Amino acid sequence: MSFGDEFLDNLLPPQEEEGKLRVRVLPGEEPGSASFQIDDEDHTLGNALRYMIMKNPHVEFCGYSIPHPSESVMNIRIQIYPEYEEETRPVDALMKGLDDLRDLCDVVEEKFVAARDSFNEEQGV
Amino acid sequence: MDDTFDEMYGSDRGPQITIKEADNTHAQIALSNCDLSFANAFRRIMLAEIPTIAIDLVFIEANTSVIPDEFLSHRLGLIPLDSANIDDKLVYTRDCVCDQYCERCSVTLTLNARCTSDVPMTVYARDLAVQAGAQCGQPVITDPEGLGTIIAKLRKGQEIKLTCVAKKGIAKEHAKWSPVSAVAFEYDPHNKLRHTSYWYEEDAKAEWPPSKFADWEDPPQEGEVFDYDAVPNTFYMDVESVGSMAPDEIMQQGIKYLQQKLMDVMKGLNGEDQMEDDGGLRSPGADGGDYQMGGMGGGQGYETPFGGQDGRTPYGGGYGATTPYGTNGWA
Repeated sequence: MSFGDEFLDNLLPPQEEEGKLRVRVLPGEEPGSASFQIDDEDHTLGNALRYMIMKNPHVEFCGYSIPHPSESVMNIRIQIYPEYEEETRPVDALMKGLDDLRDLCDVVEEKFVAARDSFNEEQGV
Repeated sequence: MDDTFDEMYGSDRGPQITIKEADNTHAQIALSNCDLSFANAFRRIMLAEIPTIAIDLVFIEANTSVIPDEFLSHRLGLIPLDSANIDDKLVYTRDCVCDQYCERCSVTLTLNARCTSDVPMTVYARDLAVQAGAQCGQPVITDPEGLGTIIAKLRKGQEIKLTCVAKKGIAKEHAKWSPVSAVAFEYDPHNKLRHTSYWYEEDAKAEWPPSKFADWEDPPQEGEVFDYDAVPNTFYMDVESVGSMAPDEIMQQGIKYLQQKLMDVMKGLNGEDQMEDDGGLRSPGADGGDYQMGGMGGGQGYETPFGGQDGRTPYGGGYGATTPYGTNGWA
């Protein structure tokens, strides 16, 4: 995984170029820690994702921020416990967080459909 | 997932949803065994990121009413339009192949009203005529008289004549696209967690009415010890639809678009391979092949935005396969 000219990319306003990366690594990346910048995301994803990544036992710290309300970007910081550094990179933790959140959505949808169907059945009778 | 097991024995294995009350305008649900951040994401997505249809362009032919054009346009924009199953019916205008808007990405509504009597006339949402064959975009009418929202009032001789173009959009861009008027959100109705402190004159308990969700949770015991480690666990939501979508669809779409969001970020994360990503990002309109064939006689069957009336494309000469440097049969 290489992140070439991220710094230069960061200077450009988001979403203007087609094919530009939506998720970037901010400068200052180290083996067990990294900050990512995601375009067009806000607290909707930020807080839920932060919580999900924090649930990962390999993750020492995860926090998110929206640096400025006028810029539609969200920064998310991930730090891995030193003993897991080899195993899990911050990107892996981010990916796992997204994946876990998607699984949670799957469960919630399933539960919702079940709850709705049983509610409708009750009402129907 | 074994749902019957959960229903019979209760479960701590993941989130639970209970529907407390529902009809076609609102739904009360309790979401339990999940985190505040997730419940809030669900609330936020229902408020701002579910696509619906709303009037976005208004062409005013005549407006002699007392309401100025921009005021009228704003009112028209806020009228809820039927958006059920919109994902199967309409695409975003920005994703459509057309130049401005077409039937694939918009619904046209017309309004033609003139007051001829001495009694002032009221123009209602029902007076908006939807284009023939539209599958969605009908004004939402829920009142028993079948009138719908009031658009304007006209006095004798006043007239409104206009055409509206309704497009698909999300409330993040403009609140008129929100499928909900409100999503009530509450946890811990007895304030056991002490996340809030009530203002009071003498006795907070006597002065504050209990929340409508209060009897869904056990009230605190007398002399109960405060639990410092407790976190909110059950979230009560009341989804109030504006009528463009049933509350049930709103909630389902909410989960769907939350997942969509996750997929998009995942794609962005995997999208480091630019070559792979380019194919997906290119819009159908930019599809190379066909345009390049313009010079080879492939242009007859259709009109392209580039291949103006003289039949020239940016890639070469006209349909006759001549170049700007050679003789042109059309000139």
